[in-house]
Amino acid sequence: MHITTGILLATALVAGAIPAKTGAVEVIVVVGANAPIPSLTLAQVADIFLGRTVALPNGTAIVPIDQLDGSAIRHEFYAKTTGKSPQLLKAHWSKLIFTGQGEPPREVADSEAVKKLVASSPSYIGYIERAAVDSTVKAVLAAR
Amino acid sequence: MKHRILPAITASILFFVPALAHADEPSKPMFSFSGYGTAGLSHTTENQADFTSNVLKASGVGSSGNWSGDVDSRFGVQLTANFSPQFSGVLQLTSEQRYDKTYRPTIEWANLKYQVTPNLSARAGRIALPTFLAADYRKVGYVLPWARTPVELYNLIPITNSDGVDFTYRLHVGDWTNVIQGSVGTTSIQYSQGTATATAIRGFSSTTEYGAFTARLSYVQGDLSLGLAKPLFDGFRQFGPQGAAIADQYDIDNKRVSVVGLGASYDPGEWFAMGELGRGTTNSFLGAKSAWYLSAGYRFGKISPYLVVGQVWADSNVSDPGLSVTGLPPQLAGLASGLNGGLNALLGAIGEQRSIAVGSRWDLVKNGAIKLQYDRITLGAGSLGNLVLEQPGFRRGGTVNVVSAVFDFVF
Repeated sequence: MHITTGILLATALVAGAIPAKTGAVEVIVVVGANAPIPSLTLAQVADIFLGRTVALPNGTAIVPIDQLDGSAIRHEFYAKTTGKSPQLLKAHWSKLIFTGQGEPPREVADSEAVKKLVASSPSYIGYIERAAVDSTVKAVLAAR
Repeated sequence: MKHRILPAITASILFFVPALAHADEPSKPMFSFSGYGTAGLSHTTENQADFTSNVLKASGVGSSGNWSGDVDSRFGVQLTANFSPQFSGVLQLTSEQRYDKTYRPTIEWANLKYQVTPNLSARAGRIALPTFLAADYRKVGYVLPWARTPVELYNLIPITNSDGVDFTYRLHVGDWTNVIQGSVGTTSIQYSQGTATATAIRGFSSTTEYGAFTARLSYVQGDLSLGLAKPLFDGFRQFGPQGAAIADQYDIDNKRVSVVGLGASYDPGEWFAMGELGRGTTNSFLGAKSAWYLSAGYRFGKISPYLVVGQVWADSNVSDPGLSVTGLPPQLAGLASGLNGGLNALLGAIGEQRSIAVGSRWDLVKNGAIKLQYDRITLGAGSLGNLVLEQPGFRRGGTVNVVSAVFDFVF
């Protein structure tokens, strides 16, 4: 029992140590530079990343790309677009997984990986820091 | 008691490791494995009846023991197979206390899904019944803000799945999303004294989402047969047209049962509020009941205290004069009185209660949360409420206090 408690406490401490500062980063939602997607609203972006929609109103298929769980930018992105903490997001996706309604977006390592993937297909959408925006991608929303 | 909780916690920690390790894998695997569970412990000072989270379980906490892990403990695993972008399958097994006191795993879902268009899909197999707001995921404690779904409303329909087909259609209008689900199926439900069957199950739900707002309207009906009180009603049938009429009115032989529900929730993140209202009818001795609950909570970082109030009441008679005994020969009169007594015992078991629960969730690890909840249940006058296993010494219409601690996890 003592060992289990120890592991539990250690896990809690490690989880608490992951940086989760809000307000520091400006998050830009991006698609490929040539993607036929105009600007999006906050609500549209939230619906895409929460699995509520798989296509834009004009019929374009859309596939969200996530950053790593525990990363500051991911925390910031979801706080600003959905108001959900990492715990609430975990609960949201558990709800969809265990009702057979969907699976969370695929995760990639960092903003560079997001840009690479997004530039490769017009149906991908991701989010990166403002400083990482370049000509390979197009900004569709600034989440402030 | 420690020995029952320890393996569940250990298992959950073992499973956290692989859950964290697959983070950098971008391609969608053909098979994915996930699971959920709850290690729970409840306590009550009541010792003449049991509090339970689901009336189909063999027991709860109370007369069968003042401490019990059976109320909320559960373990579920799910295998999802993506055969192609359109074609997928899901198998979910759950282990929780059953009608026979064992934790033998049962198949919660086993279905194949075909995504006809991005907004239209069809499933065949064992699928979740589309009822109340949290009905589809009521067993996944981690998703719930509470230790369990409010018992007054959710026990209006204790079953969670049926075998058949369903379709789901998603409609977007501006920022509004509406999901319509329709299903047909059958199911058989085992309980301690036998097996019940429900045929011609038809379910419909409409779920609307707009930002942080969610609302659901649902309706399920089916034809239920339950032999629980057959000997009693066979007895009534020997008393001519009057007895037959009583038996037809109350016995559960191919009786149309239905449950309608309307619920809404608002969850902007920092706090949440939700409420639901439902009504179940059975055209039998199980009666007709209405129930509601209201709940709200606030999230202080990882600590989320909440409050739930709920009520269930009978919309049908909870007693019946039964057979008229005047004019009957003494021997038959005695038999008729006995049958009337049996009928009124059944009708008297249509539970009425209200309850208030306060509790708090603590998200102490990434995939797990602890909840502490205190329930104060006030039984209706002369009623057993939603309690089960009433003992001779039970005082109906009183109050029952239950304290529960649960550890919910997903992987």
